[in-house]
Amino acid sequence: MSRSTVQESASYVYGIMPGDVEVDPEATGVGDPPAKIRLVRHGDIAALTSEIALDRPLGRPEDLFAHQRLLDEAAAEVPVLPLRFGAVVTDDEAVVEELLAPNHDAFRDALDDLEGRTEYIVKGRYVESVVIGEVLAENPEAARLRDDIRGKPEEATWDARIRLGELLGEGVAARRDADTEEIVGALAPLSAAVAVREPTHEQDAVHAAFLIETDRLEEFERAVEEFGERWAERVTVRLLGPLAPYDFVTTPYPEEG
Amino acid sequence: MTIVQPSAGGGGGGSSSGLADVIDTILDKGLVIDAFVRVSLVGIELLTIDVRVVVASVDTYLRFAEAANRLDLAQTGGKGLPEVVQDMTQGVGKAKTKGIAQGALDAAGDKLHDFLGDEEPEEEPRRRRRREG
Repeated sequence: MSRSTVQESASYVYGIMPGDVEVDPEATGVGDPPAKIRLVRHGDIAALTSEIALDRPLGRPEDLFAHQRLLDEAAAEVPVLPLRFGAVVTDDEAVVEELLAPNHDAFRDALDDLEGRTEYIVKGRYVESVVIGEVLAENPEAARLRDDIRGKPEEATWDARIRLGELLGEGVAARRDADTEEIVGALAPLSAAVAVREPTHEQDAVHAAFLIETDRLEEFERAVEEFGERWAERVTVRLLGPLAPYDFVTTPYPEEG
Repeated sequence: MTIVQPSAGGGGGGSSSGLADVIDTILDKGLVIDAFVRVSLVGIELLTIDVRVVVASVDTYLRFAEAANRLDLAQTGGKGLPEVVQDMTQGVGKAKTKGIAQGALDAAGDKLHDFLGDEEPEEEPRRRRRREG
């Protein structure tokens, strides 16, 4: 097949898994309408792919959900190496030739290491009024600025608001560091690996990924639940999972040939 | 505490928190295809809404300041700050869920609008969120 001609479609790649799996014939992925999922095998491993049209951009919320749902559902059953959203290769032959064949042993070993382990994410969000009250109570400059802006329009108090917001942001960040250290310190001994994520919201109290052995899952869930109860007044704790190990796959930098 | 099963996000469609969770996870985590595939790589245009917040930015400073302003206006009587904080804590503790705590904040926002009289209600601070840079 000529790769120099203009292509209308290509292969979207979701992730890599052991070759001895079957794909649900009803499974669908990204695209509109959602494309049928294919399993491309090579040796002991396989890639999940689907056909993707190249004449339109990719990234509707439905596409994002489809990518993660497929990988997470697979990860609940078998080890999976998830690819970052948006991986597109000319066709399934190229998936074999350039992705699976040259990296076969490394992928197989990585999948072996993931046997019986899945990712869970712990997200904690501060209760805004409580955390801001805490910072105001301990920071006299912030409390004074709060009095200065009280009931005044934003335009008239811009500088004071920026300074107040900065102080509050610093106070919340200090709490985030301390709370993250506390919960990660308690959960790390129950986990095979931990990856603390960057906060993606200014009221984040904790944002971290944990690689959990199936036989320690109950213990881990109980520990997270204890934090949820103990922190209930100031932090809303959520546990997301099981997920594919997005935070625990590392991209090698193959030697230039 | 909520345990979110992954399939809940997709089946229910795009609730904003579900979308934020997905964006946090699949846009910059996972294996990068470019590290493996060179010849047959196809560049496709990615148009994704990034709802993530730059945590230390003018937007977040203004939101924090406005939240402090609202907190103060929710105060009744001439209480000192420690008592206010305690009240808020108890209120949220009783509510137990974020939804109800959020309701309390919304109510405080209503008071702000009353206080400002006939001025246009301010734009909801959360709406101002946008990614910079």
